[in-house]
Amino acid sequence: MTAGSQALRRPTPWLLPTAVLLVFLSFAAAVFLGVVDIPASDIAAVLTGDGSPEARSIILDIRLPRIATGILAGIQFAVAGFLLQTITRNPLADPSLMGVSQGATLTVTVFLLFTVYIFNPGSNTVAELPIAWLPAAAMVGGMTAGGLIYLLAFKLDLSPLRITLCGIAIGAVLHALAIGLIAGWGSARIEIILEWLSGSLYARTWEHALFLLPFTMAGLVVLPLIYRPLVLLQFDAPVARSFGVSYRKQFSVALLVSCALAASAVGAVGPIVFVGLIVPHLARFLARRHFPIVLPLTVVLGAVIVTLCDLIGRLVGRAEEVPIGVVTAIVGVPVLLALLRNAP
Amino acid sequence: MDARKSSILIGFVVVASLLIIVLGLLPGAKMLSLESVLRVLWAPDGQIDSILVWTLRLPRSLAASIAGAGLAVSGYLLQALTRNPLADPGITGVTAGAIAPIVGCSVLLPWLSSAYYPFVGLAGGLAAASVTFWVSRGGNGRPLHLALGGVSISLFLNAITIYVLLLAGPQSTALLFWLSGGFQGRTWSHVIHMLPWAIVGVAGALLLHRVIAMFSLSDHAAAGMGLQRNVWKPILLVLGTCPVAGVAPVAGPVAFVGLAAPHIARLLKPRGAVWEIALTAAIGALIVTCADLIGRTIAIPKELPVGIITALLGGPIFIYLIQRGRLDFKGQGA
Repeated sequence: MTAGSQALRRPTPWLLPTAVLLVFLSFAAAVFLGVVDIPASDIAAVLTGDGSPEARSIILDIRLPRIATGILAGIQFAVAGFLLQTITRNPLADPSLMGVSQGATLTVTVFLLFTVYIFNPGSNTVAELPIAWLPAAAMVGGMTAGGLIYLLAFKLDLSPLRITLCGIAIGAVLHALAIGLIAGWGSARIEIILEWLSGSLYARTWEHALFLLPFTMAGLVVLPLIYRPLVLLQFDAPVARSFGVSYRKQFSVALLVSCALAASAVGAVGPIVFVGLIVPHLARFLARRHFPIVLPLTVVLGAVIVTLCDLIGRLVGRAEEVPIGVVTAIVGVPVLLALLRNAP
Repeated sequence: MDARKSSILIGFVVVASLLIIVLGLLPGAKMLSLESVLRVLWAPDGQIDSILVWTLRLPRSLAASIAGAGLAVSGYLLQALTRNPLADPGITGVTAGAIAPIVGCSVLLPWLSSAYYPFVGLAGGLAAASVTFWVSRGGNGRPLHLALGGVSISLFLNAITIYVLLLAGPQSTALLFWLSGGFQGRTWSHVIHMLPWAIVGVAGALLLHRVIAMFSLSDHAAAGMGLQRNVWKPILLVLGTCPVAGVAPVAGPVAFVGLAAPHIARLLKPRGAVWEIALTAAIGALIVTCADLIGRTIAIPKELPVGIITALLGGPIFIYLIQRGRLDFKGQGA
């Protein structure tokens, strides 16, 4: 425990229990509410292993996998944002501000456009797209963007704040490339790419959740190990070194973990914006900067916010649902503006 | 640098732009010889070569150079206005602010004539820029803060734009092509639609060069010289947004020109603001005309949108400027 954190006020003791309760409430709301109205008694029956076949298929094959994918992706985006904010010493860093999401987006776009040309020339059917490979494709792009950030940080010797600016530039270039590719070669696949590009949990299956699970687990296992050095990354490199922490090593490890989390999530659900930016902020605000609580709270709130935003998108649009990326953008922008406006 | 050298510099850039425009008339699906291009330019004869040059290639090249000049001056104005070397239509959210409502109108209000799009773009660009500037007053107006505000607003508007595209269905292909930024198939009517907006921006900036120069001074010095910031700020913001509003409906977003051109102009150290603005416009025209030429010749018969070329060229320039510390504006409220 660092001396600094003890000077801060302790957070209220019921903070974490409340947050966990919130998880269960949002989870229950997401299971019980939906476009198709199912009586609560039927849903309870399904959850205990009973119920009508229709209710079973809606709950078990549509809603639950979707919620599970959302929760895992939410945790990953939030933790990725938290790590990026710590290593760039910029409280507003986020996978989509640093170019990581755009890198993943670009490779997924390339993959979606060109696998068909490679494997089935002349065929345009959506069903033949190997969806299961998308997260792997996203990893390539996200990690490449992370590699660029690493090179900028250590080859060009940029300050953490300047790295953020470079991340913005990288993101703009990669975004332009992706849009150009879709426009030039998209043809029949434009709609599926657009839907994925707007950040959507529509039609996500257990397959998606199972893909994300190992990444989430790995991230949650690694985090406690790199947790204490992370505190020291908030100081300058010499200070960190005097505590026996290699700035470069911690920066690299945290960057690697955050890129892996963000890229795999982008591959599964598309670039959901603002979650990585706002959740750690909210966590810091609620925990009154009490460092040991910020991270667990980030994990919990990441799951809650994605679940709730997806529920809003499902209910508002009814049959034509609003993609979760749009909901998080609409919810996120006022919060972000307030944060920026009141920054010291 | 004295005025004569500055004018020679500008003359050089303008001649280079004209050269690129003429050279750009040669390549294409049918390669033309320099001789025949010059002949039909001088005396259009209604033959196939003449039609190629006058109805396809020349308006396109002119559209690119007008867009480049406009966007460059827009970047110059935004940088002066915010005293922030990172400001440019892309980073302050002006471009995304102009694009999103135009996409919205073309999908949701299809009966609205495209002649109104520049006005829609102007309104959206002004709104987005106002929010960015309002927000960036927090954080003491640090360059990073402005960039974060503008990029966040752009992310938000991009999310909305992509959602509208999703709703658009089959129409989205054409819109996406426009969104990748380019001049393919642009005609004289596009040139004429864009021209007044670019002229307002460039001519306005040239006329107001004294005011703009004063904006780069400290608050006290500017006030001592009689500059009324609160009066001129909205005027300059409108002037800086006009070219983007004119260019966006025609060419879509063309990234980084507004950022790079003023910096390149300043590197050449012309004498005084008026020369700097003129040089910025000329360099902007040169950059976009070159990018368009590269985009349509590098992969004949396919075309790369000009937005991709400027992004690929501009990204490294941006990173170079940051690395060299040229974007730090020390001591000026940075």
